[in-house]
Amino acid sequence: MNIFFRELKANLKSLVIWSVILILLIMVGVAKFSAFAGNPEMLTMLDSIPPALMEALNMNALNLTTLSGFFGVMFLYFSLMGAVAAAMWGSTIISKEERDKTVEFSLVLPVSRGRVVTAKALAALVYCLAFVGITWVASLVAVQPYQPDASFFSFLRIEMAAMLLIEMIFLAVGLLLGCAMKRYKRAGSTAVAVILAAYFLSIITDFRQELDFIKYFTPFKYFDAASLLMNNQIDGLYLAISAGVILVCISAAYWVYNRRDLMI
Amino acid sequence: MNIIEVNHLTKYYGKARGIVDVSFSEEEGEIFGFIGPNGAGKSTTIRLLLSLIHPTSGDARVFGKDVRKHGPEIRQSIGYLPSEVYYYEGMKVIDLLKYSASFYEGDFKDRMKRLSDIMELDLNRRISDLSYGNKKKVGIVQGLLHRPELLLLDEPTSGLDPLMQRKFFDLIREENANGVTVFFSSHILSEVQRLCNRVAIIKEGQIVEVSNIRTLQQNNYKKISMTGENLTPGLFDLPGITNLQRENGSLNFFYNGDINLILHKLNQVPLMDINIEEPTLEEIFMHYYE
Repeated sequence: MNIFFRELKANLKSLVIWSVILILLIMVGVAKFSAFAGNPEMLTMLDSIPPALMEALNMNALNLTTLSGFFGVMFLYFSLMGAVAAAMWGSTIISKEERDKTVEFSLVLPVSRGRVVTAKALAALVYCLAFVGITWVASLVAVQPYQPDASFFSFLRIEMAAMLLIEMIFLAVGLLLGCAMKRYKRAGSTAVAVILAAYFLSIITDFRQELDFIKYFTPFKYFDAASLLMNNQIDGLYLAISAGVILVCISAAYWVYNRRDLMI
Repeated sequence: MNIIEVNHLTKYYGKARGIVDVSFSEEEGEIFGFIGPNGAGKSTTIRLLLSLIHPTSGDARVFGKDVRKHGPEIRQSIGYLPSEVYYYEGMKVIDLLKYSASFYEGDFKDRMKRLSDIMELDLNRRISDLSYGNKKKVGIVQGLLHRPELLLLDEPTSGLDPLMQRKFFDLIREENANGVTVFFSSHILSEVQRLCNRVAIIKEGQIVEVSNIRTLQQNNYKKISMTGENLTPGLFDLPGITNLQRENGSLNFFYNGDINLILHKLNQVPLMDINIEEPTLEEIFMHYYE
């Protein structure tokens, strides 16, 4: 428990920074929305944008002049930010001990490496939950002036659940990288590289029909804003794949960390 | 009972040598010296005992338990002072010590006060503001705080001024008198000589000698230095003489052999002055490293 609480305290600054950026993003986004809201001219303008560009920006099938449609586009930013934040937390919370050479203190304490990973993973998970919570609350506050209907609130709820799942996937990936990488200084940047690769894969799948199978390899395709809006639920298959990825990454993280030499 | 038991322990970092086929044991209540120059494998051995790293082959037992299987249980009763001390920079000394103590059973409030008084440690400062020597003091207090049964000290005196070194040695002796076993790694021989009962000498990853510190000094070598006129190295062509050196009018050498033979030889030479003494550990040590 003491490791868990120390980690919560030690990384608070990064949570605050991420949250401030996200709140700013929501504020700016909603301010922009005021130009789109209920404006038919904007629809004609949007229709003139080349479809490929719309695809890349994930703006197809989302009506930007409605609040739900607009938040469908915002979801792209939420999920990217959530993914990066979670992956950074996951990878550094383990590897920073080696980077700062504090392993010779923290892992000489009478605790097993498994217990250390558990405590730190839980601390990072709390951060992920807090990050989603802050996004949710900030969104609710920001959309107040537009008096959204019940369908928007339920869409936002699904969106936040999807954001949490994306965070958890990349938290697990980050933890695995932090536990496994001997070149611990690179764990964070590798995690971000994985996210960017996954994101570009998710764009590529839209371009060509025959690349459709790639969607199973990128979490950003598991939770597509347009289909979330349409179906108002998270696809069961993708939920199962997500759970599988998380489980495999976490187990591998424990397995590797227990066996390897710590870098001192 | 053996507190530490190391059997054919070998560690390679990839292809780089750590230690090779190291075996020794330390009994309860001993202060055991572990001497070798930098890079000989001292820290590697200690880190293997703490299961921070895992052996390539061989095994090690502490308190009779395999270090690979019972790491956390063993570490409950170990106090460790690394050669370079790193703690969480943002924390205050007192918070760090409390954090450390929270992992062990018992109340260590009084002991924290006492130890930090002895080491003249200011508990309210932030770790990041401390000098190297002061961080080392935090390390000493943290390592001793939970009343460990075994102390692993890795070059503990580096960074401490002579006054603090003495206080530290007194503290270690006191702990030892209370039954604490001490494993003391160092490349400074005089401090090992002052403190330890037995020593192991490690060279390029391998143990070259394990012996009682007295026998190491007494049994074999005499250091003989003499002054006189017409002293030439040619006068002493006995077997067992090494390191023969001539300095204006005086002659020095180590002798290892029948003491009567050398005395007989000395009788035949006109001398003004003579000194026969036990070589310091330093000198013996240099001998192993030639």
